[in-house]
Amino acid sequence: MQWTDELVEWIHLYTKDLYKWALHKTSDKMLSEDLVQDTFLTAAEYLHKFERKSQPKTWLMAILKNKIADYYKETIHQRSQKYVSIDFLESFFNERAHWRKESAPQNWDCESENLLDNPLFTQQIEVCLQKLPAQFGACIRLKFLEEKKSKDICQDLAISATNYWQLLHRAKLHLRSCIENNWFKKQGAR
Amino acid sequence: MKKIFLSCQKASELIEKKINFELSTVEGMQLSLHKLLCDACQRYEKQSLLLEKWIINKEKKAEDSALQITEKEIDELKEKILKSEK
Repeated sequence: MQWTDELVEWIHLYTKDLYKWALHKTSDKMLSEDLVQDTFLTAAEYLHKFERKSQPKTWLMAILKNKIADYYKETIHQRSQKYVSIDFLESFFNERAHWRKESAPQNWDCESENLLDNPLFTQQIEVCLQKLPAQFGACIRLKFLEEKKSKDICQDLAISATNYWQLLHRAKLHLRSCIENNWFKKQGAR
Repeated sequence: MKKIFLSCQKASELIEKKINFELSTVEGMQLSLHKLLCDACQRYEKQSLLLEKWIINKEKKAEDSALQITEKEIDELKEKILKSEK
């Protein structure tokens, strides 16, 4: 395929911003490269439909956002049965479904420093998100990718509301304990 | 008859339901009662909301990303895209 002059110009102008954004949303370089490449291929295919009411960059970003969302949806579906696995919950709850002593949420000291402005803390959240089992990570990232109502996300995913909040619950259990163990329990040591 | 007192697993699930959807009147009462007697689930709710706030904050701050990008990578990616075929 020959790229049109216009597309060549866009590739030179916008690849960096698209890639940076994809990387910020996915934390995966290989994946981000593929998504940006895909974005331009889709743009080439639908260029005749681009009405030029918006900036090319805005249009390309919208295509990229859809690609990222599609990727997460696929990831969630690949192992959609696994998240209800009982084994998984056993590490958090005992046979009476109450918190295990070692998994029960502890007090977090959020007062002694401004966490929102601490880049190290932000990075720790990122690291914990990356450590999540794939379908949990995808679920959390999809939730915060678009300002969409949960009801609409369920519809997009074609899963029931119950499955969706249970999935988020499993994801949060992991994320919560990762932050607790790697940040709050180490607070004294820093 | 439904059990009045929830397990922590069920209570923490309902907390996620509450955050993302809404609870029925009965569920709301069950959860309130449970939290009254369970410190761990009280903390879970507080922390779950904090996690949401922190993730939203992180999503806004591209510059704090742990992954750095070089100009060379960008140039290579441009080349790759220009060479790609449909």
